Amino acid sequence: MAKGIALVMRVRGMEQELTEFAEFYESTREDCLRIVLLNVGDRDLAQDLVAEAYTRAWVSWRKVRALEVPRAWVVRIALNTHVSSWRRRRREVALGDHDTAMHVEEATAVSGDLLAALRRLPARQREVVTLRLLLDMDTETTARVLGIAPGTVSAHLHQAVAKLRAAIPSHYGQEISK
Amino acid sequence: MNDSDTVDIVRDCLTTAKDSLAGVHVNTPLDTIVRNGRARRRRHRLTGLTGAIAVTAGIALAVSALALSGHPASQSGHSASHPLIARLAAWTVAKQANGDITITIRELSDPSRLQSTLRGDGVPATVSPSTQFDPSCQPYPMTQALFTSIYHAQKGVGSGNTVLVIHPSALPNGAGIQIGASLDGRAGDQALRQVAGNQTVHQLVHQVAALAGNSVLRVGLVYASQQCTGS
Repeated sequence: MAKGIALVMRVRGMEQELTEFAEFYESTREDCLRIVLLNVGDRDLAQDLVAEAYTRAWVSWRKVRALEVPRAWVVRIALNTHVSSWRRRRREVALGDHDTAMHVEEATAVSGDLLAALRRLPARQREVVTLRLLLDMDTETTARVLGIAPGTVSAHLHQAVAKLRAAIPSHYGQEISK
Repeated sequence: MNDSDTVDIVRDCLTTAKDSLAGVHVNTPLDTIVRNGRARRRRHRLTGLTGAIAVTAGIALAVSALALSGHPASQSGHSASHPLIARLAAWTVAKQANGDITITIRELSDPSRLQSTLRGDGVPATVSPSTQFDPSCQPYPMTQALFTSIYHAQKGVGSGNTVLVIHPSALPNGAGIQIGASLDGRAGDQALRQVAGNQTVHQLVHQVAALAGNSVLRVGLVYASQQCTGS
């Protein structure tokens, strides 16, 4: 009897976990995909990276759901997975699928220089920009997520923003600051 | 303009870029994520058994290696019409009398051993488990015609397993083969459909997906080198 009750409770717990994860996936996946896409520039690659990151999130859901910002974890995993990825197009089989290759510069309304500058940033600076500016996290939360001091976050952001600002047409800043 | 203004400008530009991607949507269904995650959890739980399986596979390979190296007890079983076969739990490599190599794949595990086996059969090869790939390898320029002259995929007779046939004689000088698995079926499916025909591709994708989560076999060509393909 006791075993039966334990089994029922366990099944309910699993169902609850799945429901939670499904809600998380539904509410965060599009934003995460677009952030990863801005960082890697290749639509197919971004899809793969995000799928992999969410799969890992589900595998470790009990740990991930307890995090302060689970979607930040997903984005970081996706971007870290990008390293050594053999899906970089230069290594792919040439099968004439160039028409389907969609690079983000073609779809965005901003200068490709800015996105190129974003991708050239050192990994830590890019992480800070992603968390602070794209995921809109504050300095303290970003510091906790990355395991570094708030001052270090600010320093990385300052350096990264200086590089990114140089890639933005000057008139853009003037319009903003008016 | 102070630092805060600059941050605001960059934030605004990046947000604009992100918002302009509103037409881009995730194409992986929740079911696929959950299914792959569960398969991965099961594999983690079975990690303890992997060692024992590896030992068994190693013994099987050793037996095959003895046969291939001309062990008297097995030499009589070989003839021009009977392929030389190396067997492992996850895959089987057979060298046919005409020089073709057939790889029957149940799961793309133990890639380093598959790589060694192929190299042992005289095929310059690099095999990677998934997204990890040897950075020393450089892609070899390739047309679709060249690709299809080297590779074709089929369904194993009776077994339902994926069979990849390689024609080493069609390899250009200086080229080697590349085998790996993609994270999901989409890209591999599209790529293989173009070279192998819809029916074969669907079988291939299905069989690999059934045994190794949703991963799909990916093949290509690289420049042969000692570091990348062993020769």
